[in-house]
Amino acid sequence: MLTIPWLVGLLRRRTGRVIASALGVALAVGLLASIGTFLSSSKSVMTQRASSSVAVDWQVETQPGGNADTVYAKVAAFRGLKTPTRVEFGQTTGFTLTSQGSTQSTGAGVVLGMPANYATVFPDALRTLAGASNGVLLAQQTAANLHASVGDTITFGRAGLPDTSVKIDGIIDLPAADSLFQKVGAPTTLQPKAPPDNVLLLPPEQWHAIFDPLAASRPDLVTTQVHADFTQPLPADPSSAYFKVEGEGRNLELALAGDGLVGNNLGAKLGKARSDSLYAQILFLFLGVPGAVLAGLLTATIAASGADRRRRDQALLRARGATVPQLVRLGLGEAALVGAVGSALGLATALAIGIRSFHSATFGATAFTALVWGGGSILVGLVIAALSLAWPAWRDAKEVTVTAARRSVGRASNPRWMRWRIDLLFLAASMLVFWSTSRNGYKLVLAVEGIPTISVNYWAFLGPALAWIGGGMLLWRIANFVLQHGRRPLAAVLRPFTGGLSGTVAATMSRQRRLLARGLALVALTAVFAGSTAVFNSTYQVQAEVDAVLSNGAMVTVIQSPGQEVPATKAADFAKIPGVKSVTALQHRYAYVGADLQDLYGIDPATIVKATKLRDTYFQGGTADQLMARLATKPNAALVSLETAKDFQLKTGDTIKLRLQDGKTKQYRPVEFTYVGVANKFPSAPSDSFIVANAKYIAEQTGTATVGTFLIDTAPTDSTNVAKRVEKVVGTSGLVKDIASKRRKIGNSLTAVELGGLTKVELGFALVLAAAASGLVLWLGLTERKRTFAIAAALGAKPRQLAAFIWAEALFVTLGGLGLGLFAGWGITHMIVKVLKGVFDPPPSSLSVPIGYLALVTAIVLAAVVTATTAITRATRKPTIDMLRDL
Amino acid sequence: MIAPHRPDNGRRPIVRAHELRRVYRLGPTTVVALADATCDVEPGAQIALMGPSGSGKSTLLHIMAGIDRPTSGEIHWPALGDINSLRPGPVGVVFQAPSLLPPLTVIENVALPLLLQGIDERSATNAAREALSILELDALCNKLPEELSGGQSQRVAIARVLAGGPSLILADEPTGQLDRDTGAHVIDVLLAVSDAIGAALVINTHDPAVAERFATQWIMRDGYLTVPETDHSSKTLTRRPTIAGTPC
Repeated sequence: MLTIPWLVGLLRRRTGRVIASALGVALAVGLLASIGTFLSSSKSVMTQRASSSVAVDWQVETQPGGNADTVYAKVAAFRGLKTPTRVEFGQTTGFTLTSQGSTQSTGAGVVLGMPANYATVFPDALRTLAGASNGVLLAQQTAANLHASVGDTITFGRAGLPDTSVKIDGIIDLPAADSLFQKVGAPTTLQPKAPPDNVLLLPPEQWHAIFDPLAASRPDLVTTQVHADFTQPLPADPSSAYFKVEGEGRNLELALAGDGLVGNNLGAKLGKARSDSLYAQILFLFLGVPGAVLAGLLTATIAASGADRRRRDQALLRARGATVPQLVRLGLGEAALVGAVGSALGLATALAIGIRSFHSATFGATAFTALVWGGGSILVGLVIAALSLAWPAWRDAKEVTVTAARRSVGRASNPRWMRWRIDLLFLAASMLVFWSTSRNGYKLVLAVEGIPTISVNYWAFLGPALAWIGGGMLLWRIANFVLQHGRRPLAAVLRPFTGGLSGTVAATMSRQRRLLARGLALVALTAVFAGSTAVFNSTYQVQAEVDAVLSNGAMVTVIQSPGQEVPATKAADFAKIPGVKSVTALQHRYAYVGADLQDLYGIDPATIVKATKLRDTYFQGGTADQLMARLATKPNAALVSLETAKDFQLKTGDTIKLRLQDGKTKQYRPVEFTYVGVANKFPSAPSDSFIVANAKYIAEQTGTATVGTFLIDTAPTDSTNVAKRVEKVVGTSGLVKDIASKRRKIGNSLTAVELGGLTKVELGFALVLAAAASGLVLWLGLTERKRTFAIAAALGAKPRQLAAFIWAEALFVTLGGLGLGLFAGWGITHMIVKVLKGVFDPPPSSLSVPIGYLALVTAIVLAAVVTATTAITRATRKPTIDMLRDL
Repeated sequence: MIAPHRPDNGRRPIVRAHELRRVYRLGPTTVVALADATCDVEPGAQIALMGPSGSGKSTLLHIMAGIDRPTSGEIHWPALGDINSLRPGPVGVVFQAPSLLPPLTVIENVALPLLLQGIDERSATNAAREALSILELDALCNKLPEELSGGQSQRVAIARVLAGGPSLILADEPTGQLDRDTGAHVIDVLLAVSDAIGAALVINTHDPAVAERFATQWIMRDGYLTVPETDHSSKTLTRRPTIAGTPC
């Protein structure tokens, strides 16, 4: 049993190297397990958010021929459903309001019959804007169309029956109108593009009194739904939750035996969360795997820095009769020791990070995934240890002669991959994959309509992955080339620091180019990892804020209640409020573009750029500034959606005729605009088609300057306080929204993922990796050559001369690595952000560079290198007894 | 051109040591490596320091070379200067183990002590070439240390000493890792170099066959040095070859 004494000897005599190797393994295991914790935590959060953000979980619609009472009874009896509530739907031919001698009419609409407690049971589905919260309630847009207020009496028609009049008790908003008015059971493509413009809510008794006759004559115009909340416990993983909810929905449909269909809003939301969870997995691939690979490379480099000594030990053992299997067993024993210690350390670190950062003490959303992540991380740790320690031992034992084992420099022929130009092939392949991915619009998560499963386009990852590997190898090649063929220039560069020894130092570095080039590539890859993670994180944070501003409109937004005549001059009142930096008034109207009714925003180009942030990526045909300038100089200029521009084959300068509602006659009439560019996004605007034009021109053409929204800019941290002050001024005449609440609620794509914790972990690991890849590797490498330095000292080298040898290598590896890493990082980060385009909504116009973090990484790397180099320089200044005895 | 470091006064001792004592700790144990050693090394002396392994020979040699310092006692280099001016220059050391710097070629290794002295690269290379030529090692100029045999390595180490033209050559068991024939050849070379440049030579050995070739033999046992009363500067007894060659 040679293994045990060998391991004991290693622990006693090679303590530093064993600890350093275990640290490398711990970094890989810790990073992977931390990401497992992150995924576990974020998936669980996604499921929770998805289920809590749905206003009504299920809408069960009675089918033609079905009995509404039976459907209700079966829904009420179904397991895990609560608050089953009947909602009646009746079609109306239109609404009319006659007031002060003028009559306003609308097109067809829907009249709902809802119980009084509906808003209590489903608070996110209904919101009172004005008047009572019970009784006859009119939807906001209908009130705007009719110019109706609380207390007005409106009339609505029923097909083939006399008109009916009701008195309005309140004005309401239906935030979940899209799902409320869905076509239950229809695929997404057949769903209505927009909810009905005209909606009225009645108490059930009143509704029945009015619509039961219609149900008798035209049953196709009347239907009943049962709304209910799903209360069964959901699995933490969105995919599992999705399948459970969908399965239960189908089960209920089976129980209803054709009487009803389930509109599964919760299932749909969880389906979206599934995509988000896949994006989280994608982030793991982009941010986590490189870190783990880097930790593996670090371990291999640490192990390799002691390879000469190991080979000499092996040669000694072979000379004493050790067989190859025995040597391999020793290597495996060392790998098992390092792997076990490193894995334990890594898992403990990950657990501590998980508890602290993600409030999760498990490595997976379920017991199985926890086992997979925990066990997988340990396995990776053991594989890294085996590849770094056991495999080289096996290779050397098989292939290297005793004499060759004593060699430490060798006539270094370039590695095979360098001769075969594998790095260049990787980079070319990366470009090819990147190009092919760009043709697909960088779609990473593929969710095909009507197909329950979604998939990730893993092919897209190959681009950055190959760029990362090929880039690292190319940097190795460059460093190798400089050392191999650039001895003279290198000596010239070194001369000011090394004096007459410059040629000797350059020669030393050239002959050790394999070691130095590898070290430089490792530092560079670490810099790329730290840099790309930090830039991605920073860009993500900036874009999340942009997204929040875009959704909210500005730091604080005031939405005036419908029917209010608010002049733009009211902006001056808001401007006086302490903390308000800038205000702009935004008109919100509707305009017909051909047959499509689109949102029309009337803006003041001069003030809107101060009150909110307009990004260049929102527009096409010019930058934000350029397009605002065009609007400012051309009164009838208009920005339309890309879809509209394409549909109507618009070219810049074309005249377009939109139909706008006249302020006095309430009739739509054509108004001429000039097309000047495309607006894809605009603060407070919907994500689909809309038009942006000059408020002044719209006011002139329609005869009304009524403002729908005020956008207010504040200091980023002051929005909530300012919003409270603004609320006092606005009173009940409108709604005030501040960005802080929007940030909390934002649910676009990956913003649902708690990225902050992940990036904190990533950036922390990147710092440790950077310090280890530079300082630790350098220290270990130089420590192995202490005997060389002791010989030089014994020959009479002065401390500054010894320092020249050490510092030259340290600076070459560190500064070269950081410099080339910065360069490579720039390219790879651009690629990653492009490939991860789907994560960003809206896409960033430029990368955000976190100077502070990058400066910290640089400072830590330099500090680690200075510490390691100073320690070695001091140690070699005066050889120790051990070193002298070794001479 | 190799220029030996001549003592400033032909008859002043190269080394004068008085009651040198060297104690160090090895784990929990205190080791007395050298106990009250007193000796002189005269110019041109050729001395074999005999003794078993662990007797303190290397410690004495390291102290003479100025690599190590005594715990107590006094050591001076009357003909050479103070401890800081010994290496590189007046004292050349040949070690027991391979002591060539692995990343440097043979000629770069030989030139290194001269470069460390501040001699310009061209002159140092020329001197190294000349030293290698003298020892008939021309063919090895561009080899790396790991491509040499043990005997070749030691001869190159001697060439490194020769290139520096020292007044005192200290060789710490230079044949310890060599076979008998190769070891004998290395001793030949050392003696020849010592003769050629008139440098004093002290070698450590536990091999009586090697020691017998030196007229002066000091004995070291358990840290105690025994120096014969006879004249230190006696010449060696065996015939040795002269050295000559052409630069590589």
